Amino acid sequence: MENKKRSFLSKPGVASVLTAFIGVIVLMVIFAMMNPNFIKRNNLMSLARSICPYLLVGIGQGIVCITGNIDLSIGSVLGMSAMISATLVCNGMNVILAIIIDLIACLLVGLSNGVLVGKFKLPPFIGTLGTMTICRGIAQLVNNNYNTGDIGTGGLKDLFRDTFYYGRVGYVYYGVVICLIIWAIFWYLMSYTATGRHIYAIGSNVDAARLSGVDVFKTTTTAYVISAFCSFMAGLITMAAAGMGSMQAGMSYEMYGVAAAVIGGISTLGGSGLLVGVIAGASVWAILQNGLTLANVPVAMRNIIIGIIVVACVLFDIMRRSGMIGAKKKAA
Amino acid sequence: MSDYVVTMEHVTKTFPGVKALDDVQLHLLPGRVMALLGENGAGKSTLMKILSGVYTRDSGDITIFGQKIEGDLNTKQAQALGVAIIHQELNMCQHLTVAANMFLGREITKGGRLDNAEMNRQAVEQLAKLGIHDLDPEESVGNLTVGRQQMVEIAKALLINAKVLVMDEPSSSLSNAEIVEMFRIVRELKAMGTAIVYISHRLQELHHIVDDVTIMRDGKYITEGKFEDFTMDQIIANMVGHEVKNQFPRETVPKGKKILEVKHLNAGKMVKDVSFEVFEGEVLGFSGLVGAGRTETMRAIFGADRKDGGEILLDGKPLEITNPGSSIRHGVVLAPEDRKKEGLCTKLTIRDNIALPNLDIITAGSLTGKINRKIENEMIEKGKSSLTIKMSGADAEAGSLSGGNQQKVVVAKWLARQSRVIIFDEPTRGIDVAAKVEIYDIINELKKHGVGVIIVSSELPEVMGISDRIIVMCNGRITGEVDPRHTSEEEIMTYATQFGDHAAAS
Ligand SMILES: Nc1ncnc2c1ncn2[C@@H]1O[C@H](COP(=O)(O)OP(=O)(O)OP(=O)(O)O)[C@@H](O)[C@H]1O
Ligand SMILES: [Mg+2]
Repeated sequence: MENKKRSFLSKPGVASVLTAFIGVIVLMVIFAMMNPNFIKRNNLMSLARSICPYLLVGIGQGIVCITGNIDLSIGSVLGMSAMISATLVCNGMNVILAIIIDLIACLLVGLSNGVLVGKFKLPPFIGTLGTMTICRGIAQLVNNNYNTGDIGTGGLKDLFRDTFYYGRVGYVYYGVVICLIIWAIFWYLMSYTATGRHIYAIGSNVDAARLSGVDVFKTTTTAYVISAFCSFMAGLITMAAAGMGSMQAGMSYEMYGVAAAVIGGISTLGGSGLLVGVIAGASVWAILQNGLTLANVPVAMRNIIIGIIVVACVLFDIMRRSGMIGAKKKAA
Repeated sequence: MSDYVVTMEHVTKTFPGVKALDDVQLHLLPGRVMALLGENGAGKSTLMKILSGVYTRDSGDITIFGQKIEGDLNTKQAQALGVAIIHQELNMCQHLTVAANMFLGREITKGGRLDNAEMNRQAVEQLAKLGIHDLDPEESVGNLTVGRQQMVEIAKALLINAKVLVMDEPSSSLSNAEIVEMFRIVRELKAMGTAIVYISHRLQELHHIVDDVTIMRDGKYITEGKFEDFTMDQIIANMVGHEVKNQFPRETVPKGKKILEVKHLNAGKMVKDVSFEVFEGEVLGFSGLVGAGRTETMRAIFGADRKDGGEILLDGKPLEITNPGSSIRHGVVLAPEDRKKEGLCTKLTIRDNIALPNLDIITAGSLTGKINRKIENEMIEKGKSSLTIKMSGADAEAGSLSGGNQQKVVVAKWLARQSRVIIFDEPTRGIDVAAKVEIYDIINELKKHGVGVIIVSSELPEVMGISDRIIVMCNGRITGEVDPRHTSEEEIMTYATQFGDHAAAS
């Protein structure tokens, strides 16, 4: 056995992440060949912006997956976030205050998920299925079962739309910057702090973690609260883009989150995966949507193709890891 | 005032349906090794989990370093008081690195940021104290052998500067060399004044390190005293409640015709050109160091791993085994070594576990594949009566059984069907003396019925005591074959350490 600095590639998870990024590049090349407009500056700018919601839910779902759980409430919390903020603003509330109230509501959902799964030991699939349904209900309830009207313009409202969607610095939209900052914060948390270490540990072996003194309830709850926060942010972005709140916002986004996380190399079984991968995973998702649209593929075909590609990506990674392809077996 | 660092008096603990501890006492002195002995399910692990704060006691007094523990003790408090425990079942996060596991729950941080360099440094330092110099602290624990993982567990326990160290069957998954290494560490700790509780079912190894013994039976305290004041027979009698005459009852039955023949088997990296034969009515032992490729060989035969080459013949006819299902149908079955991971579905009931590989029998004759409760119950009864599994009932979760009783369920699974060859991989790991003899009796019984038995065991006295023929493996190859009646531990160890790649298969 060697005691030297181990090579970057041999670090757990790195190869999966690289595979995902190679996938991103391959897809970009293919779409660029199919339609040169794909790599036009404007398309790339909006492509980057369209990655944002997927990246956010991917971060949230990814972290929950690393704890060995799942969060089905992500899409509903996103919808709830959009509806609460839009309704409050439409009713004349100060934008900042509306966002704060919205944030508190979303974090409470994350907390409830943590309590249900971490304390009362509900299977995560059931516990978050419950909150998923409740939150969609709240999204419908806040404006009496109607989508909101336009939030209007002027003052903070314009600033809000600019910050989360329309404004940009150079060729990069602010939304993209905000998402990358959020990503960086959680990447730091996962890679460099004890909390992150505990998140991996409970996903890897919850008994071992508990016996080592890790607070499983606290750690589980942290993951769910992070996930709720990410959904909240994605909700704001969606709302800013539409300029209104839609009760249907975020439908199926919990699954897009799973896709982004898994394509990026995070195992749904817990304990492994790197948050860098989610960037690639979310990109694959957004590029497929964007590229297939530009290539004039009908919606129905788009869905089928995306489904196939997602399964193929993950299958490829599994085969690579088990040594079925790409020979290079690890020496003992 | 006593010198005891730990005293436990009148400790009682009840689980739903089981009184695990009933008025138990334990006294530990600094710098001495206390062997805590008892049959499977006697309550040893439970008592130690109470001392380390994993379980809470129903009643009883605990004093640690003169401090009387009021109310419940939790793991953090126990650690703070200097009590560390190495649990019976390995408890590592397979995905995390060696250093991350060692510092789990008490990570070193600098300004909120993990100080990996410092943790790696201390991990290396701690491992070096245990005489381990070639372990990369950044290696994922999942890539290590079980023995290595055990060493990491010990190093982890020592990190908290334990003044009381509980070792719950630490030797059961270690190779002989590793055990020697561990004993050296235990002696060092002893010299430093650590009080050690040592739980083991390998009674032969006790004399190397043990000073005192406490014996329990059925959740009750039986006796305690200096180790040298007991004879081995007395210890066993106290544990079991009666005398055990012959620890290794080998019965000889006439060797019948050849059943299984393995020719030039290759599989993965750990099985290289393995050839051997099994005859009716014989017990073929497989000896060797941990990691010699014995388990891999058996898994390949059973169809659990892919074969890269070679032939398997049953009754002279080539056998196409592609997966365990086909192997079972042909009557070649395997009781695997890692009971938690491979032997049992721990969340299912004992009934379901025993029935699982025999569902073809249980549902035979039913068009809809309906489970025939009557046949199932007969199977359970058979397993229960021939193995005396200690349980509240067949509908208890398999995971709630004590380690040894779990192992018996694994064995019981295969007794329910007519098999030609039964492979036992470390069948007595973590099993008490009396239960071992029960398993040997079962093996003898199978032998009499003409079944070919293969037994893989790292315990030399066991393979030598129970087999009719012993094959020794090293590094994926067969390096020797010996007759247990005319061999010595030395001879087997010589074969077991023939690491040269071209060791002659004698
Ligand atoms: N978590 C639990 N739930 C229910 N019953 C339990 C639990 N843990 C232990 N028991 C029961 O308590 C009794 C004592 O078990 P314990 O594990 O302490 O035995 P042990 O002496 O360590 O045995 P072994 O030598 O097999 O490890 C057994 O009957 C066991 O089935
Ligand atoms: Mg035990």
